[in-house]
Amino acid sequence: MQTNVVVLDNGGGLIKAGLGGERDPSTIIPNCLYRPLSSKKWLHPSPTSSDDPTDLTSAAVRRPIDRGYLINPDLQRDIWAHLFSSLLHITPAQSSLLLTEPLFAIPSIQRATDELVFEDFNFSALYVADSPSLVHLYEASRRPTGIVSKAQCSVVVDCGFSFTHAAPVFQNFTINYAAKRIDLGGKALTNFLKELVSYRSVNVMDETFLMDDVKEKLCFVSLDVPRDLRIAKKYGKDNLFRCTYVLPDGVEHTKGFVKDPAEAQRYLTLTDGDFPAQVGTNKDLDQLQVTEKREDRKRVDLTKNEFELSNERFLVPEMIFHPADLGMNQAGLAECIVRAVNSCHPHLHPVLYESIILTGGSTLFPRFAERIERELRPLVPDCYRVNITSQEDPILGVWRGGSLLASSPDFEAMCVTKAEYEELGSARCRRRFFH
Amino acid sequence: MEEDTSSPIRRVSSRTRKVASKMAAALASSDNRAQAALARLEALENDNAGMEMQETNEDDEASLDDDDQVYMQKKMSKSMKRKTRQAKALENARKAPRTFIELLHEANLESLPPHVPSYLKAAVGPPSSTSRRHFCTVCGSAANYTCIRCGIRFCSCRCQNIHNDTRCLKFVA
Ligand SMILES: [Zn+2]
Ligand SMILES: [Zn+2]
Repeated sequence: MQTNVVVLDNGGGLIKAGLGGERDPSTIIPNCLYRPLSSKKWLHPSPTSSDDPTDLTSAAVRRPIDRGYLINPDLQRDIWAHLFSSLLHITPAQSSLLLTEPLFAIPSIQRATDELVFEDFNFSALYVADSPSLVHLYEASRRPTGIVSKAQCSVVVDCGFSFTHAAPVFQNFTINYAAKRIDLGGKALTNFLKELVSYRSVNVMDETFLMDDVKEKLCFVSLDVPRDLRIAKKYGKDNLFRCTYVLPDGVEHTKGFVKDPAEAQRYLTLTDGDFPAQVGTNKDLDQLQVTEKREDRKRVDLTKNEFELSNERFLVPEMIFHPADLGMNQAGLAECIVRAVNSCHPHLHPVLYESIILTGGSTLFPRFAERIERELRPLVPDCYRVNITSQEDPILGVWRGGSLLASSPDFEAMCVTKAEYEELGSARCRRRFFH
Repeated sequence: MEEDTSSPIRRVSSRTRKVASKMAAALASSDNRAQAALARLEALENDNAGMEMQETNEDDEASLDDDDQVYMQKKMSKSMKRKTRQAKALENARKAPRTFIELLHEANLESLPPHVPSYLKAAVGPPSSTSRRHFCTVCGSAANYTCIRCGIRFCSCRCQNIHNDTRCLKFVA
């Protein structure tokens, strides 16, 4: 009997799932149940690739994962049952499972996960992997002659849904004593954007799906915050950041959209050191803004269900770089990387700085890599090179690494079988995975 | 009346209301501002499911579609004895979802020897520079002024007026 390997990157935001050996996961679904306003039941979301017309306005959301970790195994069981039977069409008892788990999962969570895998679903074998080592594996295999592959080490910066990690990897193992975490990810950014828009224009506190879309389509990373704040204050065409997002009306369209995509792209014309047009004194600017605001009020028709964004577009991703601005007592991403590197042996420092890999959905903000390089350079000794690689697809990178590992000849030997689990229990099996 | 509070598309949110009243109470006293700030950070990890959690727990199974239902039944009949409703309810109560923070607390990671890496030790730690930038809560610009009543930041007279008129002590988050 041929056993296949199910590769499951069980993210807090998205589940990426498919069979080992394939290039891409066969399905990607949000890791949640949702309940639309019109429904009494909790529903399974459709795969992200489908064009589902369900009206998600004010839908409630339940997630099995909190702050990156599995806290509700019952809910996860529902979601996996649907995934395995209706989407992947696999039989767990005849499959092995490669499952991702965030670094530093506590034993009670690991136990709950093992119970799900072996007792609820009866998988024949399990391998638990952490994302940094899978991302490293994938990048090393893509460029066999590159530095990641030659030096056999890298720093994987994973900015995902629940949190952000900078984790050094050496010879395919994550150096977990050196990994550093910022408690901010895509979920917090979406919630922050909700806060800003709700505070300034229209209440969107219940619009998770909508505001995810706004964030993905309109947010970007600023390369010069004070300059961009000044530009965001300007009026008319000189404000390169102003754009309008149209809310769904439930009649003509059930999804929101960017009103004028060309307008939304204007910020890209802003290059380094640019400062378009002359700026008046602050006083002039304030006066101009007052008059302009009045015109705005006439122009923006609130019954049209739309809102404007300007500085929110870059102030939201800004939090990853400066959590202190939110009142969080945590260092930003550049310092996070430096601390992770400094926790490794000094011999590794130069190669680590030269092989920084960005992964995770929140690294998709335009100019993310440029900004991190810019902040990192002054913090790194001059004699070291800083080299940052953005993954080709930062949402799929972990899964692709998992698929690669699952198809390697050693994979079977790395797994814990159901029989071993039954004999040894969770804690002893877990030691096998070097966590 | 100024700005947006009367906007026709303003939606009602039970969660917002509930948190907002807590916030307002907290913000009124400067002693509690630090706590309000923490509550706000906490809120950044929320889902908008909050209020309904209890009432919906019992119909968990109702959320599955037919395919899964069959699958789950097969699985259940195979791997465990069918439970009575009561036993199941008891088990549900025992296994009621807890937050990660609660699980973390139970794990008692503080008691691990110092060389063992853990969730707690992986936290990046405070920034080396203590400077915090402040942005105007009304318009987002760099903010140099603080409201004496609620401690929230604003950048100019114009924004101060908007803040005083419509937002002071009304924290939406
Ligand atoms: Zn302002
Ligand atoms: Zn105030």
